[in-house]
Amino acid sequence: MSAAWPRELLRRPGGVLGVVVLAVLIVSAVVATFWTPQDPFATDPFHRWQGPSGAHLLGTDGVGRDVFSYVFAASRTALLVAVLSSLVAGVVGVVLAAVGALGPRWLREPVAVLIDVLIAFPVLLIAIMLSAVLGPSLTEVVVAVGIGFGVNIARVARGEIRRVARSGYVLAARAAGLGPGRVLTDHLLPNIAPVLIVQLSLSAGVAVLSEAGLSFLGYGAPPSTPSWGRLLGDLQNYVTIYPLTAVWPGLAITVSVLACNLFGDALREATDPRLRTGRRERRRVR
Amino acid sequence: MRTRRSLLGAGLAVVTALALAGCSTASSPSAGGADRSAVVDVGLYLEPTDLNVRTTSGVALDQVLIDNVYQGLVGLDPSGRLHDVLAERHTVSSDGRTVDFALRSGLKFSNGHALDAEDVVWSLNQVRTTKTDVGHGDLAAVKSITAPSKDAVRLTLTKPDSELLYALAGRAGLVLDEQASNDLKTTAIGSGPYLLKTWKQGDSITLTRNPKYWGTRAKVASVVFHYFSDRATAVNAALAGDLEVLTTVDPTLKAKFQGNQDFALKQGASTDKYTLVFNSKRAPLNRLAVRKALRQAIDPKAIIAAIGGDGVAQGGPIPKGDPGYQDLTSVDAYDPAAAKAALEKAGVAGTTLTLTVPNVYGTTVSDVLTSQLKAVGVTLKVRSVDFTSWLTNVYTDKDYELSFVDHAEAHDFANWVTPGYYFNYSDERVDALYEQATTALSASEADAKLAQAARIVADAAPADWLYTAINETAIRSTVTGFPTDFTSNRLNLAGLAVSK
Amino acid sequence: MVRFLATRAVLLLLGLLVAAALIFAVLRVLPGDVAQVIGGTRASAEQVARIRAQLGLDQPLPVQFLDWIGGLLRLDLGRSLVTGTPVAGELGQKLEVTLPLAGLSLVLGLGLGIPLGVLSAVLHRRASGFVLAAAAQSVAAVPVVFAGVLLALLLGSFLHLLPVQGFPLDGWRQPGRAFASLILPALTIAVVEGAVVLRFTRSATLEALGQDHVRMAAAKGMTLHRALLTHGLPGVLLSVVSVIGLEIAALLVGAVIVEQLFQLPGVGRMLVTDVANRDLVKVQSELLVLTGLILVVGAVVDVLHRVLDPRQRERT
Repeated sequence: MSAAWPRELLRRPGGVLGVVVLAVLIVSAVVATFWTPQDPFATDPFHRWQGPSGAHLLGTDGVGRDVFSYVFAASRTALLVAVLSSLVAGVVGVVLAAVGALGPRWLREPVAVLIDVLIAFPVLLIAIMLSAVLGPSLTEVVVAVGIGFGVNIARVARGEIRRVARSGYVLAARAAGLGPGRVLTDHLLPNIAPVLIVQLSLSAGVAVLSEAGLSFLGYGAPPSTPSWGRLLGDLQNYVTIYPLTAVWPGLAITVSVLACNLFGDALREATDPRLRTGRRERRRVR
Repeated sequence: MRTRRSLLGAGLAVVTALALAGCSTASSPSAGGADRSAVVDVGLYLEPTDLNVRTTSGVALDQVLIDNVYQGLVGLDPSGRLHDVLAERHTVSSDGRTVDFALRSGLKFSNGHALDAEDVVWSLNQVRTTKTDVGHGDLAAVKSITAPSKDAVRLTLTKPDSELLYALAGRAGLVLDEQASNDLKTTAIGSGPYLLKTWKQGDSITLTRNPKYWGTRAKVASVVFHYFSDRATAVNAALAGDLEVLTTVDPTLKAKFQGNQDFALKQGASTDKYTLVFNSKRAPLNRLAVRKALRQAIDPKAIIAAIGGDGVAQGGPIPKGDPGYQDLTSVDAYDPAAAKAALEKAGVAGTTLTLTVPNVYGTTVSDVLTSQLKAVGVTLKVRSVDFTSWLTNVYTDKDYELSFVDHAEAHDFANWVTPGYYFNYSDERVDALYEQATTALSASEADAKLAQAARIVADAAPADWLYTAINETAIRSTVTGFPTDFTSNRLNLAGLAVSK
Repeated sequence: MVRFLATRAVLLLLGLLVAAALIFAVLRVLPGDVAQVIGGTRASAEQVARIRAQLGLDQPLPVQFLDWIGGLLRLDLGRSLVTGTPVAGELGQKLEVTLPLAGLSLVLGLGLGIPLGVLSAVLHRRASGFVLAAAAQSVAAVPVVFAGVLLALLLGSFLHLLPVQGFPLDGWRQPGRAFASLILPALTIAVVEGAVVLRFTRSATLEALGQDHVRMAAAKGMTLHRALLTHGLPGVLLSVVSVIGLEIAALLVGAVIVEQLFQLPGVGRMLVTDVANRDLVKVQSELLVLTGLILVVGAVVDVLHRVLDPRQRERT
């Protein structure tokens, strides 16, 4: 790992594409907070299922909403879920990993079993379970992705922490009387940061996919929150009658997830010289 | 959605049913062309939770069993007019306190037992004396039920009851065999043109021709009711050739039938009243000006357009076809500018209101409502909940601001005078008028009183009656005699036929 | 080997038990009185209490949990809270759709992913290899729903090749029609999951190409491709087997979404409906069946991996 990774990242076409798309996503999310071409929720039942036109760039949906404004506004939801989920996943992952690698001996084995069982729980099932209890909301999506992807991060990070913890200078620091908490913050976290960042960017992609899938099923965004998945859900019965409308939210999801993945992969290669040959393996959760 | 079935049935239970027996329906094909061994597959949505007509409320059971398997002394024809079924004729005394029925001769149950006045007296008395029976309340005014002879039945009343004959056309009047000892939960023995053959719970109910029917035998060998959890699936099943008839086609999916030579879509009336209730006991909705302004802010025409056009504006608590109907759509008609001004004057501009809606109704209507209220400065927060939560929060605890559900039952004005009903509405004038209507000696008098009561309710704006649904039925071209009106309440299949 | 099997079995049982406990714990915090729902709005407090007792909802939670687990062992999953029908029967019926769907998706996914993965690795220095890899990366980012919509449009609506939505009412009694209605949904899952398998196979193959024994064989006069086929591929396939354990989770989750989109009466659609209705008893069993499937397949794949891999076999 060297400080040269940003340059390494931008030397890769995938990295550049990822960065550009993510930048567009961030900008559109910020702009959509203050302005959309039309009110994304304004219905006009007398003009349903209109094709693309000057007034409606991507046409209108089944209640006459402007699809472009809706898709545009939903970028904010996607970004919000991606960022929050990654944060929760990061915290869950690091805490579990730290306890599993550095905690008291009697705790390590149970944590390992817990991680193994939780990994078998796909994000979607966790979210459905939470939704049955709490009702549909974005919080539940964030928590589900946080736990579901968090255990993946935990598994990766646990190995990293163990590796770093065995290194000479950490052993020396501990011998000098530094507590496990300080060891974690001073020595371990900075060292596993690159791995962590890669995992976080991948979890952002998982979060966008999960939010789409859950909102499609009706477990994610509430009606008052614009969401690509929710729009797909609203359109699902009409895809054979009005096929074009469903393409836009679908494309938006695909491009965003692709950007997260490209960014993550390029970042991994950029930060880890061993990986520059291109061996990749990762688990996807949907 | 099985839950929805039972919940709408047992839970909402907004009274039993519309009767609309409608004996034989419109056209029937020439005898020569009819396929007497035909099996007709029909798509429905609400499956009953069990088949006991005495203890299980809800239209899901009425739809399948009344007219087809069970019959009463009287029934209703497709346009809602009363007619005699097991009775040959009936007479009401001039003081309205005695109703006499003369039975037809040769009546038989499907098990071969003769149906006589004793069975009728026994059946009606069961309902009259068993508090938990569905329809028990409808016979509250009945003092005694007797059989002066083997083919005559007399009901004596404590006071006139203009709704009695209507009630007898529904659950309260069904005649069962006193000698039969079958389990009503899973089997049914009646006097109708069909037998209940099988019930595959969660899937389908099969009726077959009653070979011992006392009247004209059914023209098809059997009818299979298939239950669907959602309307899009049902449309696909019809298009794939699995169904001969699909009731209540989702109007937004009508386009799928376009260009299809096999099916014709027929429009019919319904009493499905899609009702947006304002909780009159909650601030700011406790103020008349606010409720009236909200009604003015809502454009029923736009809502009807959004659901695919299959609805008529209702305007007041009584839908077209029910006694006491009058056109009240001009009361608080759509006028967003006036609404906005009124809300500002009332000092509630910019307020936030919460709409609690069961998730079975989808999002179309709430999306449009949100958008229309936003235009007058009101933020509508939509809380889409499972039916359980709706029942607990809204129906039972009355803990809500706005609520949106379909009140499917006919003749259900009584909800507005039922103390403690979730509408949270009461007006002594309306109570008195309703009492006068039920004890009226003539139908026209009852109509007039109900219309007066409905006018008072509409003026108080305790709700916005968004629309009455129009039922759309998809019928295969070979099928005739399938009813198209009020299909979610009753389906009289006596005239059903399939041409070869 | 016996010891390995024993520990794996214990681990599987432990996993199932923890999963059951987690599902039960989360679902029982559910707000809203189930007994009130069944009783309907006209039920009195006493009637509701009676229903609660009938369902055992008045028992302490640990007793309820043990009841549930005990029932599971007898294949008795209880009765739906809303309709009163036995859950096991209905679940069995729905599995008749979900299992073939998952199986078909797996076969199609592996059938697409493995050969194309090997191909893209072999061609990795050429443009066609790059295009394959880039396509896989893009397809792996497509949400299953969108893949379904696109395929339905392409194959169903425009080419009129396959039924788009729905499943025959009498199910497998019309085997041809039933199978035909599973093709598009299975293909939808297979395309997305196949892209993941492709990427994995590609990297495993690239690694094999760099391995000593493959290079050695190539040096002895075999072409690199033949060397790869005879010496490298078994290793590649072996590591692909280990991914199946992980892919099965994605597959079943894909099935939940695809069943909704294509209106197939499977476990996923049943789960979605029952959550919407808060039919607690059904939801807990459905969730356990789905996670149980994932855990069991994971264990089977582990054992399979062990049996197939000579190195690991020697170690035990």
